[in-house]
Amino acid sequence: MDSYTKPAQIKKKYFTPGVVILILFALNGLFWLAGRFFFGIGAVTNLNNQYPWGIWIGIDVAAGVALAAGGFTTAALGHVIHREYYHDIVRPALLTAMLGYTFVAIGVFIDIGRWYYIWHPLIMWNGSSALFEVGICVMIYVTVLYIEFLPVVCERFIGHMNLKGAFAFLNKPVEKILILLNRGLSKTMFIFIIAGVVLSTLHQSSLGTLMIIAGPKINPLWQTPILPLLFLLSAIAVGFPMVIFESLIAARSFGLKPEMKVLSKLGTMVAPILGVYLAFKLGDMFIRETFVYLTSFNLQSVMFVIELLFGVIIPLRMFLSKAVLNSPLWLFVASSLVIFGVFINRLNDFVIAYNPPYKLVSYFPSIGEISITVGFICLLILIYRFIVMNFPVISQPDRSYSLSTKFSIRGSEK
Amino acid sequence: MKKIIMLWAALAAICFAQNKISKNHPSTSLTCKTCHACEVPTKQDPCLNACPRASMVTVYQPAEKTKNVVTLGEISKKYMPVIFQHRIHAEMAEMSGGCTTCHHYNTSGPIQPCKNCHLLNRKRDDISKPDLEAAYHRQCITCHREWSHQNNCVSCHALKSSMLSSAEMQKAKALESKTHPKLVVPKKLVFQTNDKDGKLVTFFHDEHINLFGAKCVDCHQQQNCSMCHDKGKANMVNNPEGMPIKMQKSKAEHHKPCFTCHQNDDCSVCHKDKVAGPFNHEIRTGWALNRFHAKLSCTKCHGSSYKFTKLDNNCISCHKDWKPGTFKHEVTGLKLSKNHLDADCSDCHINKDFSKPPTCTNCHDDKSFPKDKPGTLVAGKRS
Amino acid sequence: MGKQNRRDFLKTTAIAGTAISGLSIKSAKAAPKDILSEDRMGVLVDTTVCIGCRNCEWACKTAHDLPTQSLDKYSDRSVFKEMRRPDESALTVVNEYPNPQNSEIPTDVKVQCMHCDHPACVSACIVGAFSKHENGSVVWDTNKCIGCRYCMVACPFQVPAFQFDKALNPQIKKCDFCFERTKVGKLPACVEICPVEALTYGNRNDLVKIARERIRRNPEKYVNHIFGEYEVGGTSWLYLANQDFSKLQFPKLGDKPAPGVSESIQHGIFAYFVPPVSLYALLGGLMWITKRKNESEE
Repeated sequence: MDSYTKPAQIKKKYFTPGVVILILFALNGLFWLAGRFFFGIGAVTNLNNQYPWGIWIGIDVAAGVALAAGGFTTAALGHVIHREYYHDIVRPALLTAMLGYTFVAIGVFIDIGRWYYIWHPLIMWNGSSALFEVGICVMIYVTVLYIEFLPVVCERFIGHMNLKGAFAFLNKPVEKILILLNRGLSKTMFIFIIAGVVLSTLHQSSLGTLMIIAGPKINPLWQTPILPLLFLLSAIAVGFPMVIFESLIAARSFGLKPEMKVLSKLGTMVAPILGVYLAFKLGDMFIRETFVYLTSFNLQSVMFVIELLFGVIIPLRMFLSKAVLNSPLWLFVASSLVIFGVFINRLNDFVIAYNPPYKLVSYFPSIGEISITVGFICLLILIYRFIVMNFPVISQPDRSYSLSTKFSIRGSEK
Repeated sequence: MKKIIMLWAALAAICFAQNKISKNHPSTSLTCKTCHACEVPTKQDPCLNACPRASMVTVYQPAEKTKNVVTLGEISKKYMPVIFQHRIHAEMAEMSGGCTTCHHYNTSGPIQPCKNCHLLNRKRDDISKPDLEAAYHRQCITCHREWSHQNNCVSCHALKSSMLSSAEMQKAKALESKTHPKLVVPKKLVFQTNDKDGKLVTFFHDEHINLFGAKCVDCHQQQNCSMCHDKGKANMVNNPEGMPIKMQKSKAEHHKPCFTCHQNDDCSVCHKDKVAGPFNHEIRTGWALNRFHAKLSCTKCHGSSYKFTKLDNNCISCHKDWKPGTFKHEVTGLKLSKNHLDADCSDCHINKDFSKPPTCTNCHDDKSFPKDKPGTLVAGKRS
Repeated sequence: MGKQNRRDFLKTTAIAGTAISGLSIKSAKAAPKDILSEDRMGVLVDTTVCIGCRNCEWACKTAHDLPTQSLDKYSDRSVFKEMRRPDESALTVVNEYPNPQNSEIPTDVKVQCMHCDHPACVSACIVGAFSKHENGSVVWDTNKCIGCRYCMVACPFQVPAFQFDKALNPQIKKCDFCFERTKVGKLPACVEICPVEALTYGNRNDLVKIARERIRRNPEKYVNHIFGEYEVGGTSWLYLANQDFSKLQFPKLGDKPAPGVSESIQHGIFAYFVPPVSLYALLGGLMWITKRKNESEE
């Protein structure tokens, strides 16, 4: 299919009132982050010996990895099974994955107590540890993502190297390196793309294996030997909704026409995956007869129902509807629900379901923890905005083509 | 051939060994295996088990005749040797398990010192028994912390570095010659319970010991010292007899000693609205004891203590030797006339049922009891 | 991409394949050995003997150079009002529970690392810092530790503690079975100081026999259960008690080793890297086929 759109930088003003608010949140996060490094984890967080892992692992890492799954699902769709139709969304998805995983890595970095030894897993191996596998896969995958993004950098700078003043002499050699890199990468890129998909499959599932070893400490509603499969399925399921969500937000934010043709077609693929996920989740619940735990009214059972009802069942029904798929607003709502569902699932599995046998103090995230998590998310959005304004990521209509204006999200005409 | 020689050798060894064993040996109620590990112990190789713990103490000494004080100092490093007031402890032990409370091993010989079995070192090969320090401590601490609720070292030990004051020295001296006062056995105790129907439980202490044949340890198993000496509680010694005692232990704990016998009894047997009277055979069993029976201890009729079983009312189920000629009928208040002396009991007492009035119709068509009597009434006896 | 010819594709795939299979051999060698010696040592804790003097708490701190009060301060019994857990400043603690057999003598329970025979922490540790040693102890190498606290998540007894308050060089802390002391032939500090030898140190197999013998001799005193004999596949520390262990706040755990399910999944996914490599090959093949299809359409 001939594309009439082409990735390009977005020429817009960077600072808007929204951006300023994001910057404030990010600065607040960085302030607390400094506290964490100067005074230790205990000073900033509510973590303790009963609850060693909090929202930094539950949200920053686990939910972060899951929500960055758009990268590998679209890569598989666009490159492995060569659906050229979706090429427009591959780059934004790739960027999200790259930034997402970068912040996952940073999240791990700040959460581990001895951060200066973060490189240890590279040389100290423990094959039976699920965390080791996740760690290694994430490390390699981050590298792969950066490599996958390199062509975008090359595209941006080849022929546009324009360093000023004292660095002007660098322009030529850097450009030469980029050209060489570009040529080499274009021949070997498929290795990295397949590797990226394989690595993602591995660590998305292993992330589920993580809490299995905690055994009875995890509420039976979540604790199941098929957790890795559920994690993998939900990661695949959340991939496309995440791409849809971003595209619609970006379109709204930058005043572009949402690529509804691509997005609604992408949306049609969500329902089957979500259906399979739901089937496994319910099947597991009935085989292990864990539904009995739903009869007791507590935080865990309520959160489980919220997760399943609002995060899986309702969006599943929505994605089955043609009207929803064709309406940017409803598509946005449905995608948000799936994202919410997976987000809550990861939070549940790592934090809410964690029920230590001896509770001296209960856990609720501290202001510091929340500030840093929120700060990181804001920082991620800011960097995303910066990159799409300076690199050819988001596809925009080629000037020579005119667009149909059939679909639009409210306010997108601005 | 080899086997036969072996067999002979073994037999010879047995005879040899049996000739030499001490006189007390056969009197112990122990099986050989308690002490000997192998089938054929010899003098050269008695294959003795390492200090078997079985209730096999055979030597009992009255507490008054035991050593007054024993100094325990083999293992003291940090602390002064412990001056153990043996006699007073022996007296106290007499109220419960006796010598075996502490001396659980002496076979038939003299009482052995603890260190014969309990080694000095914590790090050792045979870890099945505690070392000496632990053995001492286990014997002492269980009781001591029961009533003092303390287990810090200095409550028993004086630090080597610290000098005892003269007052403390005197106190220790005084303790050496102190004896335990004789126990006052209460007659009855009234317990106030939370039971809805029947708040009060009256316990006749003397009856249980003198009449029912219960031993002290049957009930007083673990709370020996704390029964009277409990720093944390009101002193029971000062509790006036018959005043209700508030319950402090758990329900199960209180019932445990009673339930060894009263397990099948209804609650109302013990739990009553008012203080109950002493045991009355008639009220309790519906069968009044006559003056002869009243003198007997319960076990005389009901066999061993604890499990008293119901007997039938037939005299001859106990008095098996009551036969014509041997039974002195005048104890019943009626001296049989000569003609009746040789009659069988069942001739008058149909089916040997002595609770019913006798009949004369077996022999006499025209006589009937009590109008006609087969003898003469004895003055002062019941008819 | 998409410009390279098919020969390039096959060549590079082959290189990638060998590189990954080469990795797998190395990882198989690097897996930590789970030493489970027949002669491993253990400790039998008889909670019916323990008097709650807390001398073990003092001895433990002293042996591990942790800040501590003087020994006579440990006779304070008010600490028993609340349940305490071992943490980074106290590797072992004693808790007190009511004794149903005799309310005058409460039951005291010392808590520390159980030194599992199949430790979850050894299986979980991302850098393989934990190891089960021949003498039964489960110890860790602080120099390897990255402070991820996955061991704390994994531990079924909730034992490892972390120095959350330290900004630099925070460490995982737990009972190390006095590894440094036993190495030179000394007893663990707690065993050595115990005045009543409620803690018996010895060969684990012997201890199980001794524990059984104690139950056999005194069936009324003990519940017929040696905690740790089979729990999570067996632990080096064993407990005897006069009441159900759940009443003494022992966790209710099955007989299967804690890392069992997780490890079988891990080893299933990484069975000599066959599944990942196959997936890689499958996706490569798929990519090649769809690409050829696209090319032939053009």
